[in-house]
Amino acid sequence: MPTTLEISKSSPIGRSTPRVDGRLKVSGAAQYASDFHFPGTLYAVPVEATIANGRLTKLETAAAEKMPGVHAIFQRVTIGKIARSVQAGFDGIIDEHRPPFEDDIIRYYGQYVGLAVADTFERAKAAADMVHATYEEETPNIESELTPDDDPAEVMTTFGPFKREQSRRGDAEKAFASAPVQLDQTYVTPVETHNPIELQGATAIWEGDKLTIYEASQAIFNMQGIMAQMFEIPRENVRIITKFLGSGFGSKLWPWTHCALAVAAARKLGKPVKLVISRKMMFQTVGHRPKTQQRVRLGATKEGKLVSLQHDYVYTKALLDDYHEDCGEATAFQYGVPNLLVRFGRAKRTFGSPTAMRGPGAVPGLYATESALNELAGQLRIDPVELRRMNEPKIDESLGIPFSSRHFIECLDLGAEKFGWSKRTPEVGSMKRDGLILGWGVAGCAWGAGRFPAEARVELRDDGTVRVACGTQDIGTGTYTILAQLAAEKAGVPLEKVEVALGDTRLPAGPISGGSLVTGSVIPAVFQAADHAINSLLGVATDTPGSPFEKRQAKELRFADGKVFIKAESRSDGVPFAELLQCAKLRQVAGEGKAEGTFGEEKPSVSKHSFGCHFVEVTWQPEIARLRVSRIVSAIDAGRILNPLAGRNQIEGAAVMGIGMALFEETNYDPRHGAPINSNLADYIMAVNADVPAIEVHFLDYPDPEINELGARGIGEIGLAGIAAAITDAVHHATGVRVRELPIKIEHLLASSVLG
Amino acid sequence: MKDQTQSQNGVAVTLSVNGRKHDIRIDPRTTLLDCLREHLHLTGSKKGCDHGQCGACTVHVNGRRVNSCLSFAATHEGDEITTLEGIGQPENLHPVQAAFVACDAYQCGYCTPGQIMSAVALLEEPCGAADAEVKEFMSGNICRCGAYPNIVAAIQKVREGRERPTT
Repeated sequence: MPTTLEISKSSPIGRSTPRVDGRLKVSGAAQYASDFHFPGTLYAVPVEATIANGRLTKLETAAAEKMPGVHAIFQRVTIGKIARSVQAGFDGIIDEHRPPFEDDIIRYYGQYVGLAVADTFERAKAAADMVHATYEEETPNIESELTPDDDPAEVMTTFGPFKREQSRRGDAEKAFASAPVQLDQTYVTPVETHNPIELQGATAIWEGDKLTIYEASQAIFNMQGIMAQMFEIPRENVRIITKFLGSGFGSKLWPWTHCALAVAAARKLGKPVKLVISRKMMFQTVGHRPKTQQRVRLGATKEGKLVSLQHDYVYTKALLDDYHEDCGEATAFQYGVPNLLVRFGRAKRTFGSPTAMRGPGAVPGLYATESALNELAGQLRIDPVELRRMNEPKIDESLGIPFSSRHFIECLDLGAEKFGWSKRTPEVGSMKRDGLILGWGVAGCAWGAGRFPAEARVELRDDGTVRVACGTQDIGTGTYTILAQLAAEKAGVPLEKVEVALGDTRLPAGPISGGSLVTGSVIPAVFQAADHAINSLLGVATDTPGSPFEKRQAKELRFADGKVFIKAESRSDGVPFAELLQCAKLRQVAGEGKAEGTFGEEKPSVSKHSFGCHFVEVTWQPEIARLRVSRIVSAIDAGRILNPLAGRNQIEGAAVMGIGMALFEETNYDPRHGAPINSNLADYIMAVNADVPAIEVHFLDYPDPEINELGARGIGEIGLAGIAAAITDAVHHATGVRVRELPIKIEHLLASSVLG
Repeated sequence: MKDQTQSQNGVAVTLSVNGRKHDIRIDPRTTLLDCLREHLHLTGSKKGCDHGQCGACTVHVNGRRVNSCLSFAATHEGDEITTLEGIGQPENLHPVQAAFVACDAYQCGYCTPGQIMSAVALLEEPCGAADAEVKEFMSGNICRCGAYPNIVAAIQKVREGRERPTT
């Protein structure tokens, strides 16, 4: 059985560490994709379709072309060839396969039909507004009730073929029919839009047949491969740069159509082209979390033991593409139940393609299943924490294999203790404080763990500094700092001596920033690279004339605390690596590291997930129908936490997004023309500072030896899973109203009969 | 087709940004935000919505915080404009900037320039001592990463430091 490394008290691993890129971020010196400037850059603004379904019959561009400063108005016949890309395994992933302008059919509102390019942004915008489009319009399909389309038993998805009967054991239907206690409810989550504050956008620069793109990407190597295919040039001719990323939450994982448009326009015009999309376009053309409608049926004994679990879900999909929202991701393993059936269907709508949004699948899925469990607890008159304890599985029953490291019950115990759960009285409206009705709720959560393939390079340099390079991205999760901590740990230098390079396809291929897997993925690659660099250093120490270790053999030497010393002797007699390199007149020694991925492995021997739970308090003022989330306590079992400061921030931030999911967030579509009508940050409501209560985060910190040497799983997404179910349960406890369609609105709560 | 710098339609304006004067000729439709970013290459101020809804573009005009995306550059003749770059630099951080680093009051950092410009302005505004007051005063700046608790902590850390000498 694998084990994890012992970490010393002086190690930077596990220490709360302010971000190494913090000074750049707080002073405006951090350069995001749209912050780079190049002489002669032209600005591009797309023309958006104003229908969601139909055909573009004419695009009148003459007036726009005559406007001052305008270089071109592109459309299908003038943009030049943009080829389709083909996916190979985990490379070349894209959710909207159709390249921009490929045909004249309009399949969603806001689809790009033209592109204005001018010498300034203002002129490009004015020209785009001047372009007149004519359509043959058909009725958009935005039907809110989701009836599954007539799909085959196995459907193609972004991640390959998927059986619609996702998981089955025992006879769930029969067990449900004969169960002494039954629950049958349907839960609905709306279309949600990621809305990172950084707008997506690309600056494309051609030099001959070499292409550089500054783009906000969560997956630069994936984008490199796709752009090489779309523009029919060798992969090595494409360079993607994402030094800083204004987050993404999934919306920047795979390329969207604006990027190809910027590249195509730059190719035609022979100048750099900058295209930053508007906030309105962020609702139309760069993905969203699809709407889900999930029926959950639970059968249980009177004592609370689950005997049957059925989860049937339907989600919206685009007309052409096959993004899969895997709401059943956690259903089959989270609780012990002998009879289980998880199935899904899809319902086409005239929306742009959905895409992964933070905790894809599991977040809406756990909202439904955890809500159902809470309702069952109410029906059984059993404490919801106790109900979960009673149904704790010994193994992952869906695969028949053990968990690598599961401490879910300990999360519940710790969370309950910190929250004060034992003081809860279960009757609706029974708890009060300062004239407010209190509601308390709980829910569990889970999120997958594993590794993507990763490569890294570590250099020990003659000035005593260390450089670590990995072509991954820092989306705000703190990857710069994690890489610095890993390199500092191995090289035995303080953090400020480490230079981190990421966000550039010229660096060793790093993992995508998705699935909460970056930290887990880079650890073995960086450690191996550092070991290789250290081995080279030991060779230098023995082979360099005049070196203090000249007559020694490398195997007699050891490297620790940044120094080389003889194994048999004291560390304090060691020689710093900088001195050895200077002695050898070497600028640096370098090592490369490479680690295979485990994500998507065919037959895992253990089931790898993070677990956790959220306890939520809401306050309810019935006199004015005012609901607030007033307290959140989360307990998370995510393996070893490398940087608790940034780690807590991840869970807190997810809780903030969870408040939005439960109470505010919803993209609404106009039935006339199919437009997302609340496509701005005032009408699509997200939690602001005043919406957010005190949030307490507790990490269990059990290293998971199956993941990597440090036992670190990911924490970017798990915090959002389950929290909406905890909030809706707290709302029910306070108001007596059980909301099964998110977000909770005042209109729902007016049905409350709880008096103040 | 004419280059912007030769444009006959441009408006001549002298902008004072971070204490430095810039004589420019600019399209009257150019917002202060786009002028700062695309013409003066002061990219610390960020565009998140272009509608005055997110606060990422917050700058100070004559000491007051404003959304620079809602203001035309050509209207700022004679105004003293301060951007994040004028507040402090990587090796010379303002106390609010240093507190943001210490408290991890960000994640991706994209809304951070606006948060810090609001926070620096807040120090001189009639904001009460309680966290709840700070939250209200900071609710014009959206942080999608949700670093709000740490943003409040960073601001309170600076305010406690400032108020201590007088109490």
